[in-house]
Order: sequence, then C-alpha cells, then structure tokens
Amino acid sequence: MRWRSVRSAIAAAALVLSGLIATAGAEEKSRLDIVLERGKLIVVTMSTVPPFAFTDDKGQLVGFDIDIVRLLAQALFKDPNRVEFVIVTAEGRWPAIESGRADLGVGGTTVYPDRAIRVAFTRPFIDSGISILVSKKSGIKSLSDLNQEKYTVANLNNPQMAERAKRFFPKAKVLTFDTPSAQFLAVRSGRAHALQIDTPTADYFAAQSKDEFEVLPQMLTASQNNAIYLKPGDFKWWLWLDTAVAEMRTGSWYPQYSDVYRKWFGKNPPPQKFYLQQ
Amino acid sequence: MRLTSWFATYGPSYLNGLVGTALTALGASIGAILWGCGLLLVRLAGRRWGSGVVDAYVQVFRNTPVLLPIYLIYFGFPLVGLSWPAVVCGGLALVLQNGAYVSEILRGSFKAIERVQFDAARSLGLSPWNTFRKIVLPQVLVYSLPALGNQVILVLKDTSLLSAIAVTELTMQAKLLTEQTGAAYEAFLVVALLYLALVFGAELAFRTAHRALHWSR
Repeated sequence: MRWRSVRSAIAAAALVLSGLIATAGAEEKSRLDIVLERGKLIVVTMSTVPPFAFTDDKGQLVGFDIDIVRLLAQALFKDPNRVEFVIVTAEGRWPAIESGRADLGVGGTTVYPDRAIRVAFTRPFIDSGISILVSKKSGIKSLSDLNQEKYTVANLNNPQMAERAKRFFPKAKVLTFDTPSAQFLAVRSGRAHALQIDTPTADYFAAQSKDEFEVLPQMLTASQNNAIYLKPGDFKWWLWLDTAVAEMRTGSWYPQYSDVYRKWFGKNPPPQKFYLQQ
Repeated sequence: MRLTSWFATYGPSYLNGLVGTALTALGASIGAILWGCGLLLVRLAGRRWGSGVVDAYVQVFRNTPVLLPIYLIYFGFPLVGLSWPAVVCGGLALVLQNGAYVSEILRGSFKAIERVQFDAARSLGLSPWNTFRKIVLPQVLVYSLPALGNQVILVLKDTSLLSAIAVTELTMQAKLLTEQTGAAYEAFLVVALLYLALVFGAELAFRTAHRALHWSR
C-alpha cells in the first residue's frame, strides 16, 4: 500500500512538472492579440509638447501625435476613440513601456541609437528638427550671437540637448527642465533668453506671441525622426505598428495622414513617394 | 543592469546631486527654524493684529502644496525684476512653508513653560527680549527638538521638488540618468537609497543633540 502511494506521489509530481515545462515553453502572447481582446489601446504620452501632444483650452488632450494614435485605433477597432492615454513627464516614458503598463508611446519622441537599446521604435511618422526660440528682447539674431556668457538657454533633460548645447553654444549658461512647457515658461518669465526644442514645437510657441518670440532661421539639427516607441521583443506587435506607419506615410492611408498633417502644420506632408508628383 | 555595476558606472554623477540636496536641505532647514522663531516672536509680542497676520500666514502656507510657491517665486519674481538663482527661489519657498509649521511646533512647546517663570523674569527686571532669549528660546528649542527633527526630514524630502525648476539635486540627477539610459528603475532606486541615507543621518544628528541637551538640563 505504502509503495503505491509513493508511486502516485511521484506520478503527480511528474504531471505538475511537465505542466510547468509546457507553460514555460509556450509562446508568449503578442501585445497585438491582447490589444484586440481588450478592445482599446493604452498609450503613454506627454501632455506638454505642442503641437504633438498637449492639452487645449478645454482641457482635452490633443495634437498631431494624438491624432496619429486615433488613426491606429481606427484601424484596429474602427473607432478612433478607443484609446486610453497615460500622461507622464519626459523621463516617465521609459518605465511606462518597460513595465508593460502601456502598449506604445508617442509625444514628440525622437529616435536615438542609445534609446533604441531600451525601447523599440517603428519607422518615423514625422520628420522633425531642432530649432532655437529666442525672446526678441534678448537681441539674439543668430546661433553665433547665442554663444556668449551673458545668455542662458533652457534645455530639456535629455543628453542630446546637453550635447548640442556643448557643440553649438558652449559659452552660454544652461538650465534643465523636465517639460517643454516649463522651458517656454522660463523664456517667457525672463529666466532664460532662449530654448532649444523640436522645430514644430518652437514654431507653435513663437506663434503664441509674435512680438515677444522668434525662431532662429538656422537650425541645430535639420532632420530628426519622431516615432512610436514600444517594448522590444514583440515582433508581431512591432510589425503591425510599423506597417501602419508605413501605410500612413507612403501607402493606403496617406489621405488620412495628410488630413491630420494639414490640421496641425497648415501644409501638406512630404510626398508619398519621391517619384510621385502631388 | 545589476545595481552594483550600475553604481560603479554612474555613481560619481550622483555626487553633484547629493551635495546639492544636502546643502539645500541644510540651508532651508536653518532658514525655516529662524523664520519660525521670528513668527513666534511676533505672536508673543502680544499685539492682536500681529497674531492675526501670523495666523493668516500659517493658514495660507499650511494649506497650499509647496510646489505652488516654488513655481510662483521662480517664474514670477523675474516679472518684477528679481532674477534670483533657482536654488535661492526654491529654498525660499521651502523656508516660507516650513517656517509656518515650525512656528506652530514652537508655539506648542511654548505653552509647556510654566507661567511662574514669566513672573520670576519680570520680578528680576528682565526686558521682554531678554526673557525670550534667555528663558523662552532655550526651553522651547529643547522641548521641540524631536518635532523639529521630523520637520527637517520633511524639508529634506521636499527638496526633490526643486528638480522642477532646474536645481541640481538628487531627483534631477535621476531624471537626467533615466533620459540618458532609459534605465528608470536603477536610476531611481539608487536615489531612494541616497535619500534614505541622508534622512538617517539627519535623524541620528537630532537624536544625539536631544540626548545631549536633556543630559545638560
């Protein structure tokens, strides 16, 4: 009798163990399937980067990047409103993705090779650049004017900003903030004479008050890529997002993409294909 | 990345932040205690409008989040021509708020002093200022020491809010490192440990002081 109970115990243990091995070996479910089952997207974004992602006068989260996400929701669920936004500051973007709290992130986020070690990027959904916005009172007319000890520039807290500050205006003082709106507030209140930020954002800020601010014609970087970021390692999910972006910029969803582009930038996006006349 | 190798690589870049946090907290704590004593003095002067003003002041600062005065002073003062450095603006905001708390703490301890001491002081011919300096202050500070220690710890933790106005301190350092590497957990975990060490140090100092003063009494 005793022997039999030992044998059945071993059998039970083997059963449990094989079950464990089977689950461990099973392929992890793709985010794409999870999203489709859930019936809505969870998206991490900043809310202080006009015109990409910001809150309007009514307190609604709006912007170019927000509308791009709504196009994704339209493709997934045939309903642009099935999105839940998680709002963070600049450095809060990465843990929100790493922890799996959000399916993807947008919000004026630039692709950098060192960032791509931690997060995966799709192909860019908009070309950006980095410009300098100055207060007219400061009398700064060019990049070389800016490179003087008497001037202060407001940066965002990423290392690319610090690197550009060292390269283009090493003599100027630098202040570091965690949101673009705080940078703008610094220039507005006279804390800083200038700020560096994505060109569309600089243009948007300058348009707030044309008598007080202007954007220098010379850019720090003429081309940067802003893209959707997500947790790396989920090929199916990445592929869907990348395909969606490709279709927006160069394929079947170009008209919808163009509408959104014109809404926020007042001009047509770059042509679908370089050999096509628009 | 393992926490140890993280610390080996990025440890030195926390140093600036650590010094910034420690000095800001020290300055703001001393300022808050002095300012709290000042507010108490106004109350003790016995003028009704004086206590009224202090009461109103305490209500306003106790009932608003400290981030508000930080922003108001840093971004607002330049509009009236006062462009003080960020650390001064932030420190001032911390002093203004925590001074309100300190004055309340001191007032509580003040009530523990027996009335006969004031009668004795008057019969010795001590002036109000000398009564305050030689009789009230030494006793009030000793009674309040544990509570003041708590307040200093709160100041120390509140310095993290100054990262919002470009002050180089620990939280700012963690934000910079997160943006540089994308490794949020490591960056903030190390900062949490450093805050813990600072708070522990402050606690130890206050406990030692409290014991020493009680002994001498």
